[in-house]
Amino acid sequence: MRFVPKSLTLVSALACAGIVQATDIKFGVAEALSGGAAQYGVAIRNGFQVALDEINAKGGINGNKVQLVIEDEQGKKEEAINVVKKLIFQDKVLMIFGPTLSNSMFAGGPVANGAKTVIFGTSNTANGITDIGPYVFRNSVMESDVLPVTVATAAKHYSIKKVAVIYGNDDAFTKSGYDVFKAVLEERKLPVTTTETYVKGDVDFKAQLTKIKASAPDAIVCSCLAEEAANIMTQARGLGIKAPFIGGNGFNSPKLFEISKLAGEGTFVGSPWSNTNPAPANKAFVAAYQKKFNAEPNQFSAQAYDALYIVAAALKDVKLTGDLNADREAIKNALPKASINGATGPFKFRQAKAKDGKLGGWDADQKPFIYVVKGGKFTLYDGK
Amino acid sequence: MLEQQLLNALTLGSVYALFALGFTLVFGILAVINLSHGAVFMVGSYTALALVTRFDAPLWLGMVGALLVSGAVGLLTDVLILKPLRARNAPHLIPMIASIGVGIMLTTTAQGLFGAEALRFPEETLPAGEFVIGEVHVRALEIAIVAIAFALMAALFTILKRTQLGRALRAIAESPKAARLMGIHVEALFHVTSFVAAALGGIAGVLIGLDFNAITPGMGQPILHKGIAVIILGGMGDIRGALIGGLFLGFAEVLSKAYLSSQMGDAVAFGLLFLILLVRPSGLFGRKLERKA
Amino acid sequence: MQWLNDFWSTYSTLVFTVGVHSLLALSIWLTLSCGLLSLANAAFMGMGAYVSALLTLHLGWPFPAVLLAGAVAPAAVALIIGTPVLRLAGVYLAMATLAFGEVVRITLLNLEITGGPEGLNGIPLVTEGWHIALLLALTLYGLGRLRRSKVGRAFEAIKEDEVAARLMGIAVDRYKLLAFVLGACIAGVAGALNAHFTYFISPREYGFENAVDILTLTVLGGTSSLVGPLLGATVLTLLPEVLRFLHDFRSLVNGAVLVLVVLFLPKGIWEPRRIRAWLNRRKGGQA
Repeated sequence: MRFVPKSLTLVSALACAGIVQATDIKFGVAEALSGGAAQYGVAIRNGFQVALDEINAKGGINGNKVQLVIEDEQGKKEEAINVVKKLIFQDKVLMIFGPTLSNSMFAGGPVANGAKTVIFGTSNTANGITDIGPYVFRNSVMESDVLPVTVATAAKHYSIKKVAVIYGNDDAFTKSGYDVFKAVLEERKLPVTTTETYVKGDVDFKAQLTKIKASAPDAIVCSCLAEEAANIMTQARGLGIKAPFIGGNGFNSPKLFEISKLAGEGTFVGSPWSNTNPAPANKAFVAAYQKKFNAEPNQFSAQAYDALYIVAAALKDVKLTGDLNADREAIKNALPKASINGATGPFKFRQAKAKDGKLGGWDADQKPFIYVVKGGKFTLYDGK
Repeated sequence: MLEQQLLNALTLGSVYALFALGFTLVFGILAVINLSHGAVFMVGSYTALALVTRFDAPLWLGMVGALLVSGAVGLLTDVLILKPLRARNAPHLIPMIASIGVGIMLTTTAQGLFGAEALRFPEETLPAGEFVIGEVHVRALEIAIVAIAFALMAALFTILKRTQLGRALRAIAESPKAARLMGIHVEALFHVTSFVAAALGGIAGVLIGLDFNAITPGMGQPILHKGIAVIILGGMGDIRGALIGGLFLGFAEVLSKAYLSSQMGDAVAFGLLFLILLVRPSGLFGRKLERKA
Repeated sequence: MQWLNDFWSTYSTLVFTVGVHSLLALSIWLTLSCGLLSLANAAFMGMGAYVSALLTLHLGWPFPAVLLAGAVAPAAVALIIGTPVLRLAGVYLAMATLAFGEVVRITLLNLEITGGPEGLNGIPLVTEGWHIALLLALTLYGLGRLRRSKVGRAFEAIKEDEVAARLMGIAVDRYKLLAFVLGACIAGVAGALNAHFTYFISPREYGFENAVDILTLTVLGGTSSLVGPLLGATVLTLLPEVLRFLHDFRSLVNGAVLVLVVLFLPKGIWEPRRIRAWLNRRKGGQA
């Protein structure tokens, strides 16, 4: 059956095929391009493509063009395994980026680790990811590195005595964020007036927010994804709640304030990335992304963009021999030493603590910036 | 706090009822569980969004557009897929599976056309206005949703009970064969019902899309689950059942979140559903499924 | 040989998944053959998966014991809820089992021991091809014998006309319960097997969509014989893989295939009567 797809991936693959040389460097990209996690997977793929264009325009890595083999893992764990296997054994890529969801990484990671191939997640934040093994890398900063700083800064600024908490309890991302918040609040001995939950797909949070309002907190801690966060804030203001919000990783999206406008004023968020971060590397990234996709990037795109640059930096001093297994080992040995100054700021790796005698993988070692929302935009918190 | 929670329950329940109206129409008259209703709901939302953002149309025009496009989708589904299955006397599982396929196709197309990221209505189009009565806060949009849900139900109910068309529809719901023998244009009315039901879903999509303001290709799925719960609670195929069932579910959810724990909301809703089915399978208003040929 | 090695390395999980889906399709086939439209099998699969995974992770039980537990646990639950639930019929039974499934999923989501939404990870890779093949063969054999036995005939009678069957003295309630419990058993085993070759399980894999997916496998394949569910499972599992070259259009085609098969092959892909008729027509044409 003759079929003429218009999808970007096929076009870019064909374009790359046009300039394929024997020494092309092939990386696999396994992201959720359809299904429930598609908005993240697509943003990640876009970030990779911006970085790919830039790197190849400058001649690639050590003169070799980079090729990305992009596959859709649909946000399903069996697909993640199938895709990882296909990339490793059929496409014979040097390493794999992705998958999108932590759940998918838990399924696909062991496969890659067992096959001694580096698998590099840019959006996995769950606990235990890097316990899978020494071939597992991620540059997504863990909530446990960011939230303590966020809470401390906000508590001081607003003189907070007690907080209410709301989080999504059916999503690994928001739930693990909540676990970290809970630990931080306990450590700081900040009493929690009430803890509320919601599930994905809830359109209405007024039941929970009414309870929160009745408990009169000084601030509301939110471990939520951007869409729900926006609505929680809007509905909270609609109910007459004046307390400010403290947000986790999910708040890092310019969309947040498009939806909630002024409802989010005064919100504190900690993040390694924000679209208003004035660092030159970030400004360049944001401009390039906007030019290519006519839309604003978000944290997922930024981390994907940086990830490709991290690998490029690691490979700069590596001689690829053409022997697949040797090259894959070489990447695994070179990557931990990589460090760059990217869209998300200065970056380097940190090895996860060994568990049960097994060597751990590599986590992101980045300091978060604390942002406060002023005028509907993330502005760097400067102590005032 | 109780008054606020009751108001919250009312608006949430109306949201569910609005969605369930179209769903229950199709079940009552065509005897099909149309699992693409969630996707149709999403299509309405995107249509209104496209009209408002790309063609600078006012909101009311966006809603009309949503009504027409969603209705058309429902009509096409009926003409191209449900009709041949009816001609073949397919058992009721088969159209349900076909509707799943239709839902997948609609969702993928929406993603292809609009992308996977959540889109939103521009600030200016959202109906503004908030009211504060004592301790209770309510937004104009929420009042609109409640009002429209009740108005539509009243309108549908009147049509069904008082008009010729309504009598014909009720006859078909009893027995399509007998209706045909009485000279009712059954096929034509099936098409009309599909159109109207889908159009209702589309309107629900616009209203709820405005309320939540994060429009994604998958936004219809969670509401579909709730919709199924609503029509079981209220009785499948009954208009009053859709409204009562929707309100009931809204109240059950909100009150259990308020007074038990917010984690229990869904568990209570489905647990209740389960128990009600055991005790009174046809729901609060329902009719027995066995339709006389 | 290298080609074969690479092929197996790439596709072994896919083949295992076909096996597991076949078991799931057969579990629904069993309940359908008794006239029961049960959408609870995804939840039963989940129960089998969690029970077996927890036993492996926390108690280190050997695999056969774990599989057995994965079969028994959901069967026990089915036994408990079966009696009241099976009094319902048709769509109402479907909805009740669906609601039950949701309650199970939400419970899994909220318990500490199941890991909540983060699920259970690090489940060791224990399932091997022969486990799946053996269990599938046993199930097929068992169901085939069942079909031809007194029990199978009772199922058919109940499916045709429950009232008449009852009047004829068939213990309708007990047979329905048997079908329901056995179906839960098979689904539970499928779940246990799946947990041990995918390293990770979470509540979202056992919800409404999955229940409907399993039903689709069976109905699409055809319910008139045991071949149907196997064929449906194979085709629908392999289809996304085969369509991979379509990239963004994959899901669209998937949905379209569903619609087209339903329209043009109403009794499913494997329908002996239609196939025989088609073959006869061809022979007739050549005569």
